Amino acid sequence: MKRAFLAVLPLFLVAACTGKRAAAPSKPEASAPPSYEIRLGKETFRLYCQTCHGETGAGDGFNAFNLDPHPRDISDTAFQKKKSDSDLADVIRRGGAGAGLSALMPPWGRTLSEAQINEVILYVRTLKKPPA
Amino acid sequence: MKKDSLRLRLVFAITSLLFLIVLAISPAKNYFREYRSVQRDFRSLGMSRAKSLKAAQAYQKRPVAIEQVWLRDLDRVDRCTTCHLGVADPAMADAPEPHRLHPRTAHTPGDLERMGCTSCHAGEGLATVRPEAHGTTAEAESPMIPLAYLEAGCGRCHTSEKVSQASLLSRGRALMTRAGCYACHAVRSHEQFRSEAPPLNTISVKTGGEWIHRWLKDPSAVNPNATMPNFHLEPKEIEELTHYLFSRPVPRDLAAAIEKASAEPAGDAATGKKIFSESRCISCHTVEGKGNGSAPELSKVASSATPGWLLAFLRDPQAFDPVTRMPRYHFSDQESRDLVAYVTAEFRDFDAPKEILEPIRVNQTLAENGKKAFSRLGCFSCHDPIQGEATEKFGPELNGIGEKRAASLDFGKRTDLARNPPAWLAAKLENPRSFAAGLRMPSYGFNADDTHAIVTALLSLGSQPVPEAYRPPLSGSPAPIPGGAVGALIQRYRCLSCHQIGTQGGDISMAPLTHEGSKVQRDWLVDYLMLSFTIRPILEERMPVFRIPKDEAVLLADAIESFYVDPSIPEDPFAGRPEPDRNPVEGQRLYVTLGCRGCHIVGAGGGYYGPPLTDTSTRLKPGWIYAWLKAPQRWRADVRCPNYGLSDTDALRLTAYLGTLHGEKAGAKVGGKK
Repeated sequence: MKRAFLAVLPLFLVAACTGKRAAAPSKPEASAPPSYEIRLGKETFRLYCQTCHGETGAGDGFNAFNLDPHPRDISDTAFQKKKSDSDLADVIRRGGAGAGLSALMPPWGRTLSEAQINEVILYVRTLKKPPA
Repeated sequence: MKKDSLRLRLVFAITSLLFLIVLAISPAKNYFREYRSVQRDFRSLGMSRAKSLKAAQAYQKRPVAIEQVWLRDLDRVDRCTTCHLGVADPAMADAPEPHRLHPRTAHTPGDLERMGCTSCHAGEGLATVRPEAHGTTAEAESPMIPLAYLEAGCGRCHTSEKVSQASLLSRGRALMTRAGCYACHAVRSHEQFRSEAPPLNTISVKTGGEWIHRWLKDPSAVNPNATMPNFHLEPKEIEELTHYLFSRPVPRDLAAAIEKASAEPAGDAATGKKIFSESRCISCHTVEGKGNGSAPELSKVASSATPGWLLAFLRDPQAFDPVTRMPRYHFSDQESRDLVAYVTAEFRDFDAPKEILEPIRVNQTLAENGKKAFSRLGCFSCHDPIQGEATEKFGPELNGIGEKRAASLDFGKRTDLARNPPAWLAAKLENPRSFAAGLRMPSYGFNADDTHAIVTALLSLGSQPVPEAYRPPLSGSPAPIPGGAVGALIQRYRCLSCHQIGTQGGDISMAPLTHEGSKVQRDWLVDYLMLSFTIRPILEERMPVFRIPKDEAVLLADAIESFYVDPSIPEDPFAGRPEPDRNPVEGQRLYVTLGCRGCHIVGAGGGYYGPPLTDTSTRLKPGWIYAWLKAPQRWRADVRCPNYGLSDTDALRLTAYLGTLHGEKAGAKVGGKK
């Protein structure tokens, strides 16, 4: 019995070691960066959307003030709630005219890829104003 | 006898027990390996997420085993997928690590078999134990690139300065070029690098001892756009270097030009002011921070250079510095005098002492010491590259810096740092001399964002070039720059400092010249070269007015018209098309319904993100308008004009409408000129 225990003992020891190693907390990240997709989305937003919709999405980009109707404030909480991701994707793809809105918002479906559009939407969702 | 046999039995028993233990260790070790429990977790996670019975069974049947990707060309085996089983499994889109689906990138999911994991992420592909595989220990041969610097992985294969979809890496590389890292550090594919630091052979007649003192103490305190770093010189070294710089002989022709210029009468500052703003100097320079900033700040330039030097330099900057990006304007003698008069009157450091431009009397001993300091400090790397070429690079080679083991990095006095390569590199950039006494790297004053970008660029430097099969195809081809008289003009006006031709050129202008001949009307171009005006009002950087004489403008325009064309752009897009395709009224309707006025101005209203289109037909060729409307991104990949997917008919109608826009002002001007 004792011998059997001795034979098994090393197994426990190894188990204890591996267990410990697995449980060791991994080094904490310096600061969790936004996901890769959101970062790509931000870059796309900066290039294609920000000129009219503004850095914060408030519709105050520098190209906006000559436009009638004005670009919509997409950081607005009610707006963000009302529009589903597929609504946003649709208006980005087909433009304002495609969705029955102002034609001043151009269609990006042939310029941006599906993946880019999805990334932009992920980023736009981060623009939501914090509740006042 | 009995005792002996008992003893023998005991020995036998112990030996067999030991033998058993030894035998048991290996399978036990394997059995308790982390990856096995990871794979079991994955199995149950997969079963719980499976959408069908069949899929669930597939997860259930998964054997627990090592997974690997063999990268023949790289002579490497990646076993990362042993734990990261879900990298290509769409069902694992938002699963917790290590099971998560890999985000979509330019190479995922398509290139997993070809590139494996370590090509981008680094790490030890063969290892199946986490710390070894991820290289989190200081001794790890190949530490993984931390996520925050991940674009460094792109840079292992993509060695060009600009890498699309890797903006951080591209920024880091651009910063390295601007800071001139390659002047002191050998880096593959930058062997031909030349610093833009000016030659110092006229400095003794350009400025004074006091100015050199101030500059050497802290260049960016003197000029905020300075690219020269702070060398933290001792007062004694500054004194010696100043004497050395004043002891250097001035080339005879330049000395003569400066002397002649100094003797000229002063110009008229008021006229100079007009010329200054017309010439669009701030397309490259800044004045009190306003402007592009790739060239020096000018608001105190008259306190750093004598009027004679400024005048001679302005007339022929390229004689002073053969690789300068500054164009040679076509000012008349009087105009350059006026300009210098304006600059001398306005652009002064009013707090500086009067004698800031006073030359010093050279002390030979100090000058000798200064000469030694000049080579001891590595000044020649940037300011005298001929000498630099003959010797080894001044700093250590940087190839392979991205693959260093943390244990092989010398942290010296910096016990405060995390023991990993990014932390080491960032500290080297922020405070290079804090590691040990006697280090010679100067400080560049990079901010945290710049440092992050540069560390990313540094981590992308592998010790060996990647195998041929992994090198990305060259994007675009270097377009020819003609020689002869045209080439001399392109050189003189330094077109490539701002514009791009093929893969060459600067990044100040938004207008590549690669297809310019197919794009603009020749007569418009002649006028534009002679008197350039604003095409995009939102841009601060505008084409300078070089005062190009008519014969030169004609020569350049004709060369552009014949060299820089794209055969796929039709000369007459309407050829062979039915009459309704030429209908400008339909085109105008399209212009309204498509919302073009969101970005363009025609007549009164509209956005101004794109160029105003009021004088389109005077400026652009119909073939270009048509080709552009069909696919804007084909002509400039990052252009924001959306592709509307227009039919041939619609694109032609729109072209016909834009062809009716002459624009009164531009039309009158062109008419008047001829």
